[in-house]
Amino acid sequence: MSVGTVEDHAEHHGVELSPEQQVKANRFGLWLFFISEIFLFTALLVARFFLWGNTRPELNQVVGLIATSILLISSFFVYRGETAIEHGDKKRFMNNFLWAALFGTLFFIGVVVLEWNIFGLSGEIAGVEIFGHLKPTDGVFGGVFFAMTGIHALHVLSGILLLLAAWYNGRKNKYSATDNWGVEGTALYWHYVDVVWVFFYPALYLIGTAV
Amino acid sequence: MSDETNETVTTGYKRDWRIGWIVFAGLMVLTFIEFVVANLSNPSAVLLIIIGLIKAALIVYFFMHVYRLWREEKHG
Repeated sequence: MSVGTVEDHAEHHGVELSPEQQVKANRFGLWLFFISEIFLFTALLVARFFLWGNTRPELNQVVGLIATSILLISSFFVYRGETAIEHGDKKRFMNNFLWAALFGTLFFIGVVVLEWNIFGLSGEIAGVEIFGHLKPTDGVFGGVFFAMTGIHALHVLSGILLLLAAWYNGRKNKYSATDNWGVEGTALYWHYVDVVWVFFYPALYLIGTAV
Repeated sequence: MSDETNETVTTGYKRDWRIGWIVFAGLMVLTFIEFVVANLSNPSAVLLIIIGLIKAALIVYFFMHVYRLWREEKHG
């Protein structure tokens, strides 16, 4: 059996892609993944509107507003980081991705500590209770709320890990203005997680009458 | 890199950063409008959903660069 070069092998199977085609294929694949995830998040939203109707649990809307703002700020930092590396500015890319991971972590902690209240805390700011009271066993309110925030929080957690991985690779000088798919893919994922929350926030905190 | 190319890169960089700021500001304003609408005496769920769709469209177009799916890019 003859042993050819990688190029021979690729030519034989007709699968050789130029770097531009590879990035385009990567993008397409990632967007297909996003589309597949739409089914999951849509199912959760349908469950919310079917089971809650025009009602919702009594949640602190200010906490929801702050959490949403933190996630948007994080997305903004990711955009700045991605833009920076696309223009060869490695330092700004690194700084912005680190800030994005920090704000993402703040969002995650906010959901776990304030909304899920895993430590069973209580406290008020300006007469408003800031710690959540819902439990997963609290009927359709608890079940749907924890399913939606739980699935989303898992995505946030994986996004934070991806941001830190991209930052670490940046430290190793693995990205440049012309070779930065790792950064672009991570940024796409993080923005997608943000888009999901754009719909979850009104569905959980704003639409319907609090009961 | 020639001076002209350098200038083009810098101009593009500044433009992209400015777009980022504008989109971010728009998203924050829309989020606050959502909050206000939800606290009106008779909040409209349809309006909240429309605002959500606008926010999602801004993120998908400007932050996620969805148009790149149909465009050949110089990448390596």
